[in-house]
Amino acid sequence: MERAVPPTVPLGQMEVFQALQRLHMTIFSQCFSPCGKFLAAGNNYGQIAIFSLSAALSSEAKEESKKPIVTFQAHDGPVYSMVSTDRHLFSAGDGEVKAWLWAEILKKGCKELWCRQPPYRTSLEVPEINALLLVPKENSLILAGGDCQLHTMDLETGTFTRALRGHTDYIHCLALRDRNPEVLSGGEDGTVRLWDLRMAKEVQTIEVYKHEECSRPHNGRWIGCLATDSDWMVCGGGPALTLWHLRSSTPTTIFPMWAPQKHVTFYQDLILSAGQGPCVNQWQLSGELKAQVPGSSPGLLSLSLNQQPAAPECKVLTAAGNSCRVDVFTNLGYRAFSLSF
Amino acid sequence: MAPKQGPLDEVIRKRLLIDGNDAGDDRRINLLVKSFIKWCNSGSQEEGYSQYQRMLSTLSQCEFSMGKTLLIYDMNLREMENYEKIYKEIECSIAGAHEKIAECKKQILQAKRIQKNHEEYGVLAKVIQHHPDRHETLKKLDAMGKELEHLSHIKESVEYKLELRQKQFHVLLSTIHELQQILENDKKLSELEEAQETSMDTDPKP
Repeated sequence: MERAVPPTVPLGQMEVFQALQRLHMTIFSQCFSPCGKFLAAGNNYGQIAIFSLSAALSSEAKEESKKPIVTFQAHDGPVYSMVSTDRHLFSAGDGEVKAWLWAEILKKGCKELWCRQPPYRTSLEVPEINALLLVPKENSLILAGGDCQLHTMDLETGTFTRALRGHTDYIHCLALRDRNPEVLSGGEDGTVRLWDLRMAKEVQTIEVYKHEECSRPHNGRWIGCLATDSDWMVCGGGPALTLWHLRSSTPTTIFPMWAPQKHVTFYQDLILSAGQGPCVNQWQLSGELKAQVPGSSPGLLSLSLNQQPAAPECKVLTAAGNSCRVDVFTNLGYRAFSLSF
Repeated sequence: MAPKQGPLDEVIRKRLLIDGNDAGDDRRINLLVKSFIKWCNSGSQEEGYSQYQRMLSTLSQCEFSMGKTLLIYDMNLREMENYEKIYKEIECSIAGAHEKIAECKKQILQAKRIQKNHEEYGVLAKVIQHHPDRHETLKKLDAMGKELEHLSHIKESVEYKLELRQKQFHVLLSTIHELQQILENDKKLSELEEAQETSMDTDPKP
């Protein structure tokens, strides 16, 4: 909607409303399609927009290529989290998780496959689902959020098999540890808990705020982001962004970033993190800041790396947060362009 | 505009094709035709002869320019071949460069993995360094163990002495008590005897 309007023509109601909507938009989640050529982004109004990456990255890209090819209303509330399997896209918002077929979405047919709610303790509860995690080995999906439990849903039958309890406050983020089938969860109560999926129990609890080196009481104790590499784990949020060695549960490197980080991920030999502030930070494992690349949003909430083997030409990093734009980085050194709702 | 210009275009095209670079060949051939007609119409022997010589020279000029053009044509053909060869070579080297790039990318990934392992090692090493050396700790443990033994020995001997003294005091005290008892008994006996004697004394007349 960015046409140049001559100053004498007044903007219509609709256009003003849309402009305001875009001004106050926050993009909470992003997800790449299984073919690697499309990106789905979910915002706080419950809309999901699909962008064509291959069109935007091609040499004949125009302004329209940076707009979504289809936008649809997925949930009534914000879309907090999305994951994708070979054929489906799962999106989660306030209390419910919905499934969509990628083939349908790309043809602009926006009908959900199913909509399920995990079993909550009382029927009045509508806790938000902050994180979704796919466990390919047992073909299940893990949901975690406001009710402080991790729910497991079997993807074949659609039933909710386990509810892991242990957190005392809502859960922000999940991560999967490949070698042992363990799930890590980080929450508002300041703990990172490791759960063994086969025994359905909590195996280890790391109270991050109790370690002096990383705790920052003035920011709180909440764990906002989590990433794991089997032996190592990075977590951050209220306490400083820290690299932990899981076997010995010791914090090894503290990354000197004052702003709380909202998303972190391992990539090759680097750790990428983003949070308050417009930059994507690249760290070496030893704690040195290798690069800080500014994006276009004032704060970033999610980072996503397109490593789908089917589309090596669309291998990009995308970052989105407190604005209606998704920044695309083709080379980690600079922001190439931005897609916009 | 198109229909009238059509035949004119054709004419221009034909003229350009014949003599595009304006080397004068076309003019020379026209001149040759005119001079042939003049020679046929010439009167005297000398005029005819000079006209004939002029025609021969024009002919040889035409042949010369024809020879030049043929050579140029040959040269162009050979240049084309040369370019084809160079083009193929460059294509091969591009393909080779692509492969090398792919190889280098793999090597970069490998190098990054090695770097990552190196850093992980460094980080863990730092943590381990914080903890004191195992040998020293073991030595300290040994020393403390010995001290503990030594102290417990002392404790034992002290306790033994204490018990001994206790027993000795006990013996002493009990002996004292017995002696006291004996003395008291003696005293009582002697008092009794005294009392008996005085009562016998006060009652002397039977």
